[in-house]
Amino acid sequence: MGGSKRDKREREEGRRSKKHKSDLDFDQYDVDEDSQDVESGGIPDAATRQVDESSSKEDEFGAKDYRKILDLKLDHSSRPLWVAPDGHIFLEAFSPVYNHAHDFLIAISEPVCRPSHIHEYKLTAYSLYAAVSVGLETKDIIEYLRRLCKTTLPSGIEEFIRLCTLSYGKVKLVLKHNKYYVESQHAEVVQKLLKDPVIQECRYRPELNDGENTDVIQESVTKPTSIQFNKPVTNGSSTTVPGTSTSSDPQAGPSGDDGGGTSDNTDTVPSDIFDYYDKMDNDEEEGEDLKTVSFEVKQDRIEDIQKRCIEIEYPLLAEYDFRNDTVNKDINIDLKPSTVLRPYQEKSLRKMFGNGRARSGVIVLPCGAGKTLVGVTAACTVRKRCLCLATSGVAVEQWRSQFKMWSTADDSMICRFTSDAKDKPIGCSICISTYSMLAHTNKRSWEAEKVMEWMQSQEWGIMVLDEVQTIPAKMFRRVLTIVNAHCKLGLTATLVREDDKIADLNFLIGPKLYEANWMELQNLGFIARVQCAEVWCPMTPEFYREYLTTKQQRKLLLYGMNPNKFRACQFLIKYHERRNDKIIVFSDNVFALKNYAKKLGKPYLYGPTTQGERLQILQNFQHNPKINTIFVSKVADTSFDLPEANVLIQISAHGGSRRQEAQRLGRILRAKKGAVAEEYNAFFYSLVSQDTMEMQYSLKRQRFLINQGYSYKVVTKFAGLEDEDLAYGTKQEQAQLLQEVIAASDQDAEEERIAGESQTGKSVFGKRVGSMSSMSGGDGSVYMDMKKSSNKHLHPLFKKFRK
Amino acid sequence: MANSLFSTRTLDCKDLHVYLKTLPSHILDRLYNHPATCLAVFRELPEIGKHYVMRLLFVEQPVSQAVIGLWINNRHINEHHICTRALSDLRIWYEQPLPGGMQGWILNSTFKTNMKTALLGGGEPWTGRGAVPLPSDKNSKDVEFLDKYAVERWECVLHFMVGSNEGKDGISGDTIEVLKHSGLMKLEEGEPMPFITPGGFQFLLMDTPSQIWFFMLQYLDMVDSRGLDLVECLSFLFQLSFSTLGKDYSTESMSEGQQRFLQHLREFGLVYQRKRKEKRYYPTRLAINLASGLSSITSDSNRKGFIVVETNYRIYAYTDSPLNIALLALFSEMLYRFPNMAVANLTRDSVRAALIRGITAEQIISFLRTRAHQEMAKEGPALPPTIIDQIRLWELERDRFKFNDGVLYSQFLSQGDFEKLRDYAKDLGVLVWDNNQKRVMVVSRAGHDTVKKYWKQLKQSGNS
Repeated sequence: MGGSKRDKREREEGRRSKKHKSDLDFDQYDVDEDSQDVESGGIPDAATRQVDESSSKEDEFGAKDYRKILDLKLDHSSRPLWVAPDGHIFLEAFSPVYNHAHDFLIAISEPVCRPSHIHEYKLTAYSLYAAVSVGLETKDIIEYLRRLCKTTLPSGIEEFIRLCTLSYGKVKLVLKHNKYYVESQHAEVVQKLLKDPVIQECRYRPELNDGENTDVIQESVTKPTSIQFNKPVTNGSSTTVPGTSTSSDPQAGPSGDDGGGTSDNTDTVPSDIFDYYDKMDNDEEEGEDLKTVSFEVKQDRIEDIQKRCIEIEYPLLAEYDFRNDTVNKDINIDLKPSTVLRPYQEKSLRKMFGNGRARSGVIVLPCGAGKTLVGVTAACTVRKRCLCLATSGVAVEQWRSQFKMWSTADDSMICRFTSDAKDKPIGCSICISTYSMLAHTNKRSWEAEKVMEWMQSQEWGIMVLDEVQTIPAKMFRRVLTIVNAHCKLGLTATLVREDDKIADLNFLIGPKLYEANWMELQNLGFIARVQCAEVWCPMTPEFYREYLTTKQQRKLLLYGMNPNKFRACQFLIKYHERRNDKIIVFSDNVFALKNYAKKLGKPYLYGPTTQGERLQILQNFQHNPKINTIFVSKVADTSFDLPEANVLIQISAHGGSRRQEAQRLGRILRAKKGAVAEEYNAFFYSLVSQDTMEMQYSLKRQRFLINQGYSYKVVTKFAGLEDEDLAYGTKQEQAQLLQEVIAASDQDAEEERIAGESQTGKSVFGKRVGSMSSMSGGDGSVYMDMKKSSNKHLHPLFKKFRK
Repeated sequence: MANSLFSTRTLDCKDLHVYLKTLPSHILDRLYNHPATCLAVFRELPEIGKHYVMRLLFVEQPVSQAVIGLWINNRHINEHHICTRALSDLRIWYEQPLPGGMQGWILNSTFKTNMKTALLGGGEPWTGRGAVPLPSDKNSKDVEFLDKYAVERWECVLHFMVGSNEGKDGISGDTIEVLKHSGLMKLEEGEPMPFITPGGFQFLLMDTPSQIWFFMLQYLDMVDSRGLDLVECLSFLFQLSFSTLGKDYSTESMSEGQQRFLQHLREFGLVYQRKRKEKRYYPTRLAINLASGLSSITSDSNRKGFIVVETNYRIYAYTDSPLNIALLALFSEMLYRFPNMAVANLTRDSVRAALIRGITAEQIISFLRTRAHQEMAKEGPALPPTIIDQIRLWELERDRFKFNDGVLYSQFLSQGDFEKLRDYAKDLGVLVWDNNQKRVMVVSRAGHDTVKKYWKQLKQSGNS
């Protein structure tokens, strides 16, 4: 048969290179400017490990053929997953043991895609690192995976898990009574560390005990049981308050559900899966005695020892025993009694505070699912001085109001540290600022200088990092060196996985602690049900001719200003305004933004818009029934909380950035009240000009959301569009518009680059580096192909690690 | 027939009646010599037709058309016409003038006699039901075995078509001839094995009963060239369709031609015979369902759906059948093969490759839909609507040209002439395209006359 018998080798290669290329494409958008100048030392071998799949063959269609090496178990139909020797895992979402398997896979692997029936996950070195850091053990991971698997477990996978987990998560860096200890439950590991000369130097030995004292401190701790959120936790106490909240025992949640299910499924579900799950559950729950071994570390050598431990493949997990921290005084905040956490929020926090201490790490929740509340609750649980960092001034305001809404904190405790707000942060309990404010290197005002000095001198209990995925690593590291925090919590909606920066987060902040399933939250009604549509707008012949002949940079302008796109946009606005919807229109191109907004007589905001004006427009949008549509540039991509908005129209976007697409969708994800009757209660339209580059970009952009289970309906024609009175209907008007577009300057053709409040670093690009646009993922635009090769060989893991 | 097949780009799959109507009348008359054929044809008649036949079965003289017309309510007159037409085409009845000059209908006497036999019994024993009952089979086979056997055999043919390794053996030259004759495969110069054609791809995506039916029709087309008698084969097929699944039948009373035919059926999986010389055979489900043509069977009811299609263009196929995988690989990109499951991706490239080979978007969609896993059907439509839309859009995007009639003006002697005429056409708004360098222009059909007139004037004024 012609096609498939063709040279399958060639096809396979084609596919590989395709895949490879697409990965690189994403890198283009997320690449940092500083990735070249980073020292590449300190990469442990384990992190560079790939799953060994030399044993697999290819079948005649170019697929990886595992039929020979994997044996099907007899009761395979009742087990939920397949594990491919290359680390990909496929999970049946309709399996009776789905909940168990899902919780487990989230802990040990990265979700690749989670549509409705079969989910795909991938085991990576990072994900396994995260797994051990939340307390899973090598043998448990392998054994449970073996039991869940429909086939025999590929031996390469077992080996891989063992290699990646054996040395990880064994040693912790603990701050107790304001002294740093290296602590481990494995005496042999501690002994091994102590033999290392560098670590010996870093070890703190009280003078009186010198000599040949190499003994380590042995102690037996009762593992504290879980923490009750939304209940005051008294210092030093490890008892839980019997909860009245709905989910006092989250682990009982899934197993409880399935407890009901077991009676039906006893025949179909192999009992070993349940048994083992319960066993692992109990491991986590029991307040059993743990023997730990530890030694104290010189405070000024923390960075050295961390680096050294990575080199010898025992990365230190940072944990903060905040209950026993007597040096930093408690702050008096609690959640309000009326605040109720949703089950998934509670679950994510439990991962963070699972052993009674605070782990550093990243929590991934969809936009609109209440990330802020998770941050606020974490702060209220730690009850130490707290620093919140957001991406923009508007976001700072939103954090402040959220703190006041959910917790007992009042204005006297919360201070904003931004260029606009004139609070006096010195001595406050909760400080909210922006990344750029902290990372600022130019001259500051005297007052700001004083604040910075104070911040640097403080020991912060917890640092909450909002939209953590958007910050360039360089700025990020600067922030982390300025501020000393015991525990760092990163919050994000889109941990886009291919690029290096996410790997940095793993070691700059900590492993990913939790990642929610978008579709599940949508089905439970926690986030809005969104109908996504891709609207194909044919280019008018005149615009298309110009498009084909013009130079690359100006093409953007032409497909953005395509009259058919304008008409589709106007049609949608009219349609949804009649339904009393609130509409946000996004355009990355400022020329298009202004042009559309002015032509339609709608307010718009973009980079140069002042803070005051922004707030005014947003408030009008929220409360003024006459203002139902606003036009915004990419400044609104993240952290603009607009709960009313339920329609989003995107007329121009930033290349193929998946993250931007997801962030934008997030603007309308906040659950809508009282619209249960309808199948969809929010609408996301992406307008693309047919036959232009936009089509390819659009395909790429959607991939993240499609992998989360969203589907885009392609709309090629609107019924009733012809009957509407829309602009640019005649050839003359269109020709006039084309003239305007041609007359536009080259600057207009570019995407927005805003030199905002955030000037950092110096570079040949001057204003561009570290600007707002790069923070929102805007830099590294489409012309950065040349970066491909230079970046390829640097291994992501640890490469920018520095505390 | 094979040629007409590709002019329409879709396989022409006739049902039983349409097929029978194509046969010459003397063959039809001979066919009716056997009660099984009569019953099979009767079974497939429309309800009204069955009614008419039953009423006329025991009437020895022609019945007036007007009388028969009165049997039916005026509102259903259309159905009446369709039905009388069908009965005439199948030569079940024919017109005969009544003594008064009126036209009447009388049943075909051969049909009538054998239909009576079929209903009332008597006559010759049907093939396979020998006078002497068979001793019980010590290797008797159950239904499950027969189904499995039938599917295996049939898939061998399909495997051969897709060129996969599993189907190399067990395919006779005769089968290959049928495949070539039907246009499903064709032999290229210098190639030892025939290649699948676009028609063949369409064939593969049909459901099994339709495939068998189509294939058998093609086979019957060729029986003459093999020295077999069409009537003999057909009536044997009809008799098979009245046999019981799981029961064994004797080859005792079969003619030599029928014996040879049986061996072919054995190859396709329509009957099971342990050994060539064995005196007994078992018809399989494929044979029993065959004679009903396509009308009653819409999908493979005995096969469970196995395909999960996700909104992210992933396909998961719960199957270990290499054939299913091969079919899937026609329009998707295979990623993983597990012992009982395969993972594939539906991409624009893979679907376009299928479209180029002549497979239609509709066929891909129906292939996925009819084989959808039961989990898919639980909530709403079996396939995600966006996927269906996208496959259709991929097909549509191959068809983006718009054609406008126009007239080409060329070979202008001077640039001036060209420009004058072009500007004139442009002002009229009838200029479709022009090229200054080559001095050619296209004027729309509507504007041609005016432009031509102007051109003549121009030339005259130039000459004068």
